[in-house]
Amino acid sequence: MNDTQLPIWEVFHQEKRGAPHVHVGAVHASDEEMALRMAKEQFARRLECVSLWVVREEHVVRTNYDDPFFFARNTDKRYREVHGFPAPLKGKHSE
Amino acid sequence: MDVQEKTYEEKLAEFEARIARGEKIEPGDWMPDEYRKQLIRMIGQHAHSEIVGMLPEGKWIPHAPGFRRKLTLIAKVQDEAGHGQLLYRAAETLGKSRGEMLEELLDGKAKYSNVFNYPTPTWADVGMIGWLVDGAAVVNQRMIAKCSYGPYARAMKRICFEESFHIKQGQDLLIKMVNGTEEQKQMAQESLNRWWYPTLMMLGMPDSDSPHLGKLKRWGVKVKTNDELRQEFVDLVAPQLKSVDLHPPDDDLHYDEETGHWKFTEPDYDELKRVIKGDGPCNKERMEARRKAHEEGRWVREALAVSKRKKEVPAA
Amino acid sequence: MNKEQALQSYLLALADDELILGHRDAEWTGHAPLIEEDIAFSNIAQDEIGHAQSWLRVYESLTGTDPDTVAFLRDHNEFTCCHLVQMPKGDWAYTIVRQFFFDAAEIVRLGYLKQSVYDPIREIAVKIYPEEQYHLLHTQGNVERLGDATEESHRRMQRAVDEAFGQALGLFESIPGEDVLADENIVPDSKTIENEWLQFVVPVLKRSGLRSPVDETNGSGGTDVKSWYGGRQKEHTGHLKQIVTDMQQVYRMIPGAKW
Repeated sequence: MNDTQLPIWEVFHQEKRGAPHVHVGAVHASDEEMALRMAKEQFARRLECVSLWVVREEHVVRTNYDDPFFFARNTDKRYREVHGFPAPLKGKHSE
Repeated sequence: MDVQEKTYEEKLAEFEARIARGEKIEPGDWMPDEYRKQLIRMIGQHAHSEIVGMLPEGKWIPHAPGFRRKLTLIAKVQDEAGHGQLLYRAAETLGKSRGEMLEELLDGKAKYSNVFNYPTPTWADVGMIGWLVDGAAVVNQRMIAKCSYGPYARAMKRICFEESFHIKQGQDLLIKMVNGTEEQKQMAQESLNRWWYPTLMMLGMPDSDSPHLGKLKRWGVKVKTNDELRQEFVDLVAPQLKSVDLHPPDDDLHYDEETGHWKFTEPDYDELKRVIKGDGPCNKERMEARRKAHEEGRWVREALAVSKRKKEVPAA
Repeated sequence: MNKEQALQSYLLALADDELILGHRDAEWTGHAPLIEEDIAFSNIAQDEIGHAQSWLRVYESLTGTDPDTVAFLRDHNEFTCCHLVQMPKGDWAYTIVRQFFFDAAEIVRLGYLKQSVYDPIREIAVKIYPEEQYHLLHTQGNVERLGDATEESHRRMQRAVDEAFGQALGLFESIPGEDVLADENIVPDSKTIENEWLQFVVPVLKRSGLRSPVDETNGSGGTDVKSWYGGRQKEHTGHLKQIVTDMQQVYRMIPGAKW
């Protein structure tokens, strides 16, 4: 008989308030509550943590690494970037 | 969408160029079948080693002397479960399910580290596993943290952090014994005598006997050779052990001024082959314990898979 | 029994329950049904053993005897744990049901101890309480999931409830000296804990598709099930001797050795 290891949930971990949720791994669990609990056991056992998100693996939508055009930035887009402009004035705002 | 299909040679060239630039390969990337296969095999073996590795030490949980040792040991074996969990997940990103990997292990089709097929007859063995086995594991895993496959390298960073913690615990346990009664000291030395060579074997067959080494290095699956890792390990632990008056069972072990490395006697690699193939002192016992846990837990997994909770938020 | 002796007696009973149950729980480490559960259940084992240590530190402040000496050098027939925690780990169903019964009792007991007029007990209870709440999330959640998920899970869980219920009532056997402490609002009376425990666990079992022995009696605040008493009076099952022998094996192996 095929063994079940339960569905997979991707886990996102927030170390402290104000910090972003960061992907740290995944757990196998039957439902949301178990997934959160297992995520806590596995990823907040030693690490500080104030919040966890879990999401079913198949609900994560991904870009394709092989896509040749999706992230293409071949033409000059320096006008979008901070270092594309010299700082005209000295002072706090340009730091 | 008009995306021209590349030839295998073009894809391979891009893949190898990416690795040569020091970029990681990620799930979803094109990769040669053999790269995928080798990684699934390596990560799977690594995960199995963590899970089987819980057993020789877990045996001592009921006997750990004192609250601190008891709690530390449970937490340590728990970490090994955590490492197995992370590693199975890294392998799953290459397209093989954890269920399949576990069944392969239990069917005797997958391998795991030789070192967990040796018995742990004394309490000192718990310390020796921490100091030597985890020590060798960290040497190996620091290398893997630089490997070309992103999920494996990422899992390794966290695992290395926890393993270095385990090494300290092992050292603490043994140093206490070495500084204790004569009987305790003997127990520690006798444990070292048993673990020294199996730990050297743990770092794998000698380079002269590693047929795929060239490709594995080019693909960033292995960054160092087994012999390099073994030397690194001996250079690290030989002086540590001697500093606390513990002596590896090797009369030729000495520091070589010229090379700046410790000279040591190679382990018996025929023994390594036998143990890996399933003919070690405890292979049967380890697999029986894993199979029992797997079979006795099956009804729980099956029930959880179809369960509906009867209440959302528990009271209290 | 004077107040000082009563406090020592009560602290030892609390610590012995936690220590022996934690020891049993740790038998799952490396053998649980799912890797995630292995990690999670090892956590419960550590917590329970840690709680025992906390209670024994209070005991140490009264007697000068440190926790290791109490736990690792005392003879098994000096322990005062209830029988529930001594029983072999059984299958996962028994382990979960036993732990659920224990956690529920802890929540009720600690709810009172959090308000104890005796500072050292109150302070420990405040620290331990959230951990037991979390255990309950785990064990109650598992009872609710496994109670009637499959035919096999139902059969095993029902058997576990039938086995463990009377044993669990042994948690509420009066601890020698507790009347002295209850009179001063230091600890609750064991009967009070038992009544609240019944009101809590019976509905959870029912909701999970499990029959509890009190369903057939009056349904609230009383039961005809035989309570497994004796533990608090140092009358134990044969299992305790084995546990304590295993636990103390290394500690007692070499006279004078430190580990």
